[in-house]
Amino acid sequence: MAIGPGQTSTTLTPGGTRRASLVLFGPAIAWTLLCAAGIGATMLDDDAWSAVDRSRSVAVGSARCQTCHPREHEAWFRSYHRTMTQAAGTQAAETQPIVLAPFAGEHLDALGFRAIMTGGPQRPHVRVERLQPEPGQDPLVLDADVELTVGSHRYQQYVARIDRGGGPGERWRLPVAWHVELSRWIHINGAFLTPEGAWGDEADYLRHLSRWNDNCIFCHNTEPVPGLDPQGQWNSEVAELGIGCEACHGPASAHVERHAWPLRRVLAGLAPHQDGSVAHPGRLSAGLSADVCGRCHGNRIAADLADVLAHGDGFLPGRPLSEVSRPILRDATLGDPPQRPFEARFWPDGTPRLSAYEYQALLSSPCHQDGAGLSCGDCHTMHGPEPSMQLWPEHDTSAVCGRCHEAATLSDAAAPGGHGRHGAIVGCEGCHLPRVTYGLLEGMMSHRPTRPRPQVLLDRDDQPDACTQCHVDRSRAWAAGALEAWRDGAPLPAPEPGEISRVALDLHGGDPIQRALAAAALTRSEAPADPRTRMAWLVDALEDDYPAVRWFGYRGLRRVARQSLPDDAPAASVLEALDVSNAMEDPGLRAMMVDQLRAILGPGPLAAQPELEQRLHERRDDRAIWIGE
Amino acid sequence: MTAARHLRLSLAIVALFLAMGVGLEAMLGLRVRAWFDDPLRRELLRLGHAHGALLGLVNVALGWAMERLSTPPPWATRIRLAALLGAVAVGLGFVGGGLWHAPTDPGPLVLLVPAGALLMVSSLVAVVLLPPRDAEPGPKS
Repeated sequence: MAIGPGQTSTTLTPGGTRRASLVLFGPAIAWTLLCAAGIGATMLDDDAWSAVDRSRSVAVGSARCQTCHPREHEAWFRSYHRTMTQAAGTQAAETQPIVLAPFAGEHLDALGFRAIMTGGPQRPHVRVERLQPEPGQDPLVLDADVELTVGSHRYQQYVARIDRGGGPGERWRLPVAWHVELSRWIHINGAFLTPEGAWGDEADYLRHLSRWNDNCIFCHNTEPVPGLDPQGQWNSEVAELGIGCEACHGPASAHVERHAWPLRRVLAGLAPHQDGSVAHPGRLSAGLSADVCGRCHGNRIAADLADVLAHGDGFLPGRPLSEVSRPILRDATLGDPPQRPFEARFWPDGTPRLSAYEYQALLSSPCHQDGAGLSCGDCHTMHGPEPSMQLWPEHDTSAVCGRCHEAATLSDAAAPGGHGRHGAIVGCEGCHLPRVTYGLLEGMMSHRPTRPRPQVLLDRDDQPDACTQCHVDRSRAWAAGALEAWRDGAPLPAPEPGEISRVALDLHGGDPIQRALAAAALTRSEAPADPRTRMAWLVDALEDDYPAVRWFGYRGLRRVARQSLPDDAPAASVLEALDVSNAMEDPGLRAMMVDQLRAILGPGPLAAQPELEQRLHERRDDRAIWIGE
Repeated sequence: MTAARHLRLSLAIVALFLAMGVGLEAMLGLRVRAWFDDPLRRELLRLGHAHGALLGLVNVALGWAMERLSTPPPWATRIRLAALLGAVAVGLGFVGGGLWHAPTDPGPLVLLVPAGALLMVSSLVAVVLLPPRDAEPGPKS
């Protein structure tokens, strides 16, 4: 800046005045004019505000989203969605471990085969050998480096590149998985609802050696393209391993390009809902929002399977899911002549029995109101602080239900304990979203709000009711009587002499899902029944023919025993008895474990009625239920 | 603008933005969600509070410096006005940009901040470079 001698006088000449003002105010005025011009041009620029053809967008990856959406990115980074699929051996120092299993030389024997896990978390490797090969038979069954991990919440599965006729890009899920809660290996057959299989039968051992390229790839990655070519070779690609931002928001290249201009970002608040360059599930209608989740949380039948296997499912978040597929429902048909192969996945009233059918459960609920009412986002948020279940902070089911079902208008609202008479200890979900869903070796909450009506199931064995899933030592007749007494304001009925628990009947006479859910019900800490009794009954599940049911029994015993400590000394003995290596896979070791547990806990629920137990076992529905994972 | 009025207004700016700090403390203590759960708004309001108060003090220092350096009065009048406007624009630009912000970025009022910064810088540079009024031709005291 140059100040002339003439400007130092106590008064300025007109030229000096202008120069002083120009020097002091000129830059700010120039900036202001520039901004005004930029704002005007941006607001008038049709490209900055008009809807874009999102189908032409390509995925950019979640890391790009972090710059502008750090808080959302941080929440996503903590989520199990992010870690749904990860490349093994690419551990970043600041994150949780990718490979959760030790891979330190452990082995797992099952069905006459031994899986040996080596290489550590950096170079995990699985080798499977026959324990007793026939003369001249190659003992080696499988020998592979783990390339991908799938899951990190309940159990972690491992995927390796194995060419079994599908080319070098073919990947397969391996037959062993790491159970996170138990910190131990399980054979993957145990997570599925199929019988044990024959000892030494390779096909049975590898029954769930599932191909990643046309199974896991879809719901465990972002923008998956299986890439099946006409020669039957797999050239699979994903935009991002795991469920990244663009799995729910859609490919974001148009969004990133539009918002590269700072003034467009600054002005975005003036018209927050007029972007259209990316989907925002929270601002979609209930139906379209549920469609985003239903892409993975609702098993579907593709409109054009060949196209899906070649190019991906073609779904764009924000568009109706029905454009590319139809949900699998109880009466869905396949083939010609049409068959109904999915009935076993649903209870007789159409409520899904399996997880990954939450979408169907919501659709079949009157609360969803054909896409205008309840949706996934009413209870769940993908950007909250809690990665498990991903409920809204301070989530209160009664507040969600209360939007339509005002507490004061519910039947018996003024009675002691309020509607349902359970007081605050049982929320709406306790009775209206019962735990009648099997998934990932857990008994899960139904996502279809229903009324508990044990009275209509009195003569039926094919569906559990909400009451006895919690009152595990009671019969269905007692539940129906209790519900009637509740309506009349009368005291609850006393148990009938000789009453047999509904859960005990299901544990012995139900199909595999009923048996697993019965064991899950006995495990619940809120079940109003003596923990010793529940543990004694759970031992029966250890003798089931289905490994999945046995796992429910095993884990249930551990959980109840831990809940009982330190008040119950036998609980420690139970934990000690359960701590036998490979007992769940080896029938001989398991029989010894059961004997030991019986000695500690006493007989099961039907020990005094062997004829009934026999009848139930004969009636037992031992079908295989295909989960579809 | 007289030196006295500049000083009063400068102190008023300091008082205004310090008082805003009390408000921010109260929102922190009361966990006001519109502020507490909005990191961008929180950051911009803090920036507005800090910049407004500091630039008010800079104005006080500037007024003192102009007296000490005998800045020529016609320039001084405009420098005082520019510096006051600059402090207010920076402080309110941050506050306004935070109160009415876009989903990922500050609101349009944040564009006042660079304008205010330019006014402040111009004022300070002018005070640095201007020769004192004693330097004009004539007998020295």
